[in-house]
Amino acid sequence: MATTALTPAATYRSALYEWVTTTDHKKIGILYLVNSFVFFFIGGILALGVRSQLAVPDNKLFSPDLYNQLFTMHASLMLFLFIIPILAGFANYVVPLQIGAPDMAFPRINALSFWMLPLAGIIMLAGFLVPGGAAAEGWTSYSPLAQAKYSGVGTDLWLVAVTLIGTSSILGSVNFLVTIFKMRAPGMTMFRLPILVWTALVTSVLVLMATPVLTSALIMLFIDRNYGGAFFDPANGGNAVLWQNIFRFYSHPAVYIMILIVMGIVSEVLPVFSRKPLFGYKAFVFATAGIGALGFSVWAHHMFTTGTVYLPFFSFMTFLIAVPTGVKMFNWIATLFRGQLTFATPLLFALGFLTMFLIGGINGAFSAAVPVDFALHDTYWVVAHLHYVLFGGSVFGVFAGVYYWFPKMSGRMLNETLGKIHFLLVFIGFNVTFFPMHLLGLEGMPRRIATYASTAGWNQLNLLATIGSLIIAASAVPFLWNVLISLRSGEPAGDDPWEGNTLEWATTSPPPPYNFDHLPEIRSERPVFDARHGRTGGHGGQS
Amino acid sequence: MPQTAHDGALADLPRHGISNPILGMILFICSEVMFFAGLFAAYFNVRATAPIWPPSVAEVGPIAEHFDLHAEPWLAAVLTIILVSSSFTCQLGVWAIRRNDRRGLIRAIAVTLVMGVIFLIGQGYDYSQLGFGLSDGTFGTTFFTLTGFHGAHVLGGVIMLSVVLFRAMSGQFTARHHDAVEATSIYWHFVDVVWIALFSILYIIPTR
Amino acid sequence: MPITRNKRTRPAALVLSLLLALVAAGCASQFPQLYPPNASTSQGAEVRTLYDIVFVLAVVIFLAVEGAIIYAVVRYRRKPDDADLPPQTHGNNLVEIIWTIIPTIIVVYLFVVSWQALNTVEAKSDHPGVRVKAIAERFAWSFAYLGDDGTTPLFTTDAQGHGVFGTMVVPVGEPIHVTLHSPDVIHAFYVPKFLFKRDVNPGPVENNFDFTVDAGDVGQTFRGQCAELCGAGHGGMTFEVKAVTRAEFDTWLKQQIDAAKKAPPASGSPPAGSPPGGSPPAAGPVIELAAQNLAFDKATLQAPADKPFQIHFVNKDNATQHNVQIKNPDGTVAFSGDLVTGPAEANYNAPALKAGSYPFSCVVHPAMTGTITVQ
Repeated sequence: MATTALTPAATYRSALYEWVTTTDHKKIGILYLVNSFVFFFIGGILALGVRSQLAVPDNKLFSPDLYNQLFTMHASLMLFLFIIPILAGFANYVVPLQIGAPDMAFPRINALSFWMLPLAGIIMLAGFLVPGGAAAEGWTSYSPLAQAKYSGVGTDLWLVAVTLIGTSSILGSVNFLVTIFKMRAPGMTMFRLPILVWTALVTSVLVLMATPVLTSALIMLFIDRNYGGAFFDPANGGNAVLWQNIFRFYSHPAVYIMILIVMGIVSEVLPVFSRKPLFGYKAFVFATAGIGALGFSVWAHHMFTTGTVYLPFFSFMTFLIAVPTGVKMFNWIATLFRGQLTFATPLLFALGFLTMFLIGGINGAFSAAVPVDFALHDTYWVVAHLHYVLFGGSVFGVFAGVYYWFPKMSGRMLNETLGKIHFLLVFIGFNVTFFPMHLLGLEGMPRRIATYASTAGWNQLNLLATIGSLIIAASAVPFLWNVLISLRSGEPAGDDPWEGNTLEWATTSPPPPYNFDHLPEIRSERPVFDARHGRTGGHGGQS
Repeated sequence: MPQTAHDGALADLPRHGISNPILGMILFICSEVMFFAGLFAAYFNVRATAPIWPPSVAEVGPIAEHFDLHAEPWLAAVLTIILVSSSFTCQLGVWAIRRNDRRGLIRAIAVTLVMGVIFLIGQGYDYSQLGFGLSDGTFGTTFFTLTGFHGAHVLGGVIMLSVVLFRAMSGQFTARHHDAVEATSIYWHFVDVVWIALFSILYIIPTR
Repeated sequence: MPITRNKRTRPAALVLSLLLALVAAGCASQFPQLYPPNASTSQGAEVRTLYDIVFVLAVVIFLAVEGAIIYAVVRYRRKPDDADLPPQTHGNNLVEIIWTIIPTIIVVYLFVVSWQALNTVEAKSDHPGVRVKAIAERFAWSFAYLGDDGTTPLFTTDAQGHGVFGTMVVPVGEPIHVTLHSPDVIHAFYVPKFLFKRDVNPGPVENNFDFTVDAGDVGQTFRGQCAELCGAGHGGMTFEVKAVTRAEFDTWLKQQIDAAKKAPPASGSPPAGSPPGGSPPAAGPVIELAAQNLAFDKATLQAPADKPFQIHFVNKDNATQHNVQIKNPDGTVAFSGDLVTGPAEANYNAPALKAGSYPFSCVVHPAMTGTITVQ
């Protein structure tokens, strides 16, 4: 068992001061996690607002204008302030540990990247307090609806906030890439990197190359709105579909930014809880890189109905990207095969990811068939698809990561019974909410409508979806309770409660500020496994 | 050979390849290239879908007479020469500090800085003489957005050069440790390359 | 605590779960809600065929892969006597190549099939039976029937009682060529039963497409709705497509063109949104009426008989269009005011009416109704 050799600093610093001024990647990672969960819960409350309005037909609970703000802010918070940052947070905590580095390459820029996020969140939410309300054009902010003549100051606040968040991401991506390329411990070659590190690498390349394009679009729209610009407003000679092209060029790679690190988390959890290595490591690396590259070639599949797109190319590339994704799915299942599975909560959420992300991938294939997309685009089918991949996929993976690394971060185990209750509630609630939306989309219910007529025939399915959303809301209770009581009095975790494979399990829980007293020999992608089973020397260079 | 923090100072580890800050700057520049790519994409799209480019008087009124930039490109050409030369002087500074020539570094960076400031002043003067603005249709919007953000990046570079100059004068750079000089010069070259692209596209070959 | 399984029950459990899955899939495939509606256009039928192909493949893949996951989860639970590690398989090149190639073949097949269907759906006829321009403007639809040159409007449905507002009448069995126009933001023309939608883009380039309603669907009315967020009134921006025989269509179109040529629209109100001060002087008594939260503030109004009167109409609903349309007891339109986008006011100059009971409503929101008692 590892021990910490250094003694704490002599000068007293308050805990608050420590947390606010820290440049330690582990503390910054935890700050990312906490901040992201705050926005997850706010975004969830906005979703409950949406579902309450849609529970019954002809509902006047919220005005249509407020409803548009609710779903716009729900999506914006979830995507920009929850899912993208929380994955950056996991990567922040885990990547330096997994490569045997003492910290990230640029610790102060790391801190800056984080602190831009709560600021951006406050700016975005401030939209609810200004005349005209918050941004209400959807998180996709299409022009001309997002031009100044149709929207208020809330949209400008949204633009500023998202620009800040994008800048935070880009700085983070530079940090991750330099760290991964330049700060690996001796023996940690590229093809011995844990898959989580590979996914963080590819995600960082996507952030680096795609997010600045979003920044350019946001700035151009800001110029249109505030300086009489003529980029996207046909009334000025601009081009409305141009906004879509530039925005979607970012927002398609963005969805891979939202899923790849989750795939990395699942690729860490499945091997540990099957007691076998990940099946097809190299194929996995190439599939990840392939998805990253192909992700830049499919953006116009969000624009099939605009009449301005060369349809066969984008349809083909969209179908093609299913291949590396399918390969990963098979690799994961093969990892389970002939293993010895222990159904701790991390594994439950990883299995939830597998089963739900599969559905999200399959229903996406329908939209890749262009004529079918003509029927399904902008209907609740798409709402089902995006939630199956982002909630069934990303959120389940995030919870797998939380339950898996909470012991490492806090030194205490989360309660397994509460974890299983949480899983069951969120799994059931999620499917009850979103599966009916496939049917609603097929029946012709469009997206983003504030209410629907009772004669349309959509009443029961909408009510069912709303009930499901309440079950999801209920699932937050065992989770939060678990976190609170475990932080206080959870079972001590020790260095390696799960019999893990990767380097973070070779140090204390939580690790010391400089991460490692000594590193095991690194001869494969599972150095701690190797040390435990005597395939390599346990500790390098220790007397 | 030291392998961990315990065994020796990390700063003394043998360097393999380019240093962290320089790799960081190169990656950051990649992101900036993508930012400009978005702006250029908008420009090319607007230009390709316009009936005539620059827009004609019939379409947008008398202001179109000012859109003919390559009628008098001399000021922009002078600015181009200044900026390209400043890249040379910047590189001279890098070579100087690599041979530990601190005085050479200071001279070269100072000259580069002055040229950068002259560029900015010249750009501002050009703006005042153009006769159209940001809100003058698609041409005005794209022109000022592209050149404006480039100018903002030049300003950023000028600030970086000032910091490097100050640090050089305080004796902070040696042949062994001068990452900030290398990184700043790479950034400055990038700013120069973007200008060459802008100048060619906006001033030399604007018509279709 | 892992549950031990008897070696004999394992294969039985597997077979049972497979059977259950097959039964579930069989039942599911009978569920009409898992499919789009039966298409009412020839293009829609193509789409439906393609959907069915994708659906079959999707169900097969879903069952196979989910089945593999469930099998692994059941079969490979860690048992108390599992002290040794399981075989540490790192990969298998042959298997990995196979499961890369097979999905590639499947997706290429799907691509080819969908490209073929796309060409059929996008095909445009040289001789469309009718040319219509669908105009989407926040938040209602109007339809302009165009002459053979494709540009001259012969007749446009509107809120002044020309045609039924928001209804496009078309003959069955012939290609209808639709051009899409928006003077404001992006909208989308979507008819679920056509399995089709197309964006309505503002700007110089207007989308267009053809559709042909099946002859068997004559007499049907198809619901349509805007499918691209366009503001607060997006959810209410519905329209209808009414399919009739060619003869009925010709008669109807001629009637509308003739009616439009006769008396000008009897609204007499100033352009929507102009200040009340700019309206013509009140002709007769003024009745106050407001619309708020998609409802009129009064269900009954009083007006004098045989005298023109004015309705001072206040629309309080932000970004929502309303108007007032008065119908004669026999159902014909007596008066229809211009659409007003709130918050705004308008003064409607209604004509003199004989004594009686006249229903009034909003053309955009037919549920908003009331009665004017004229005496």
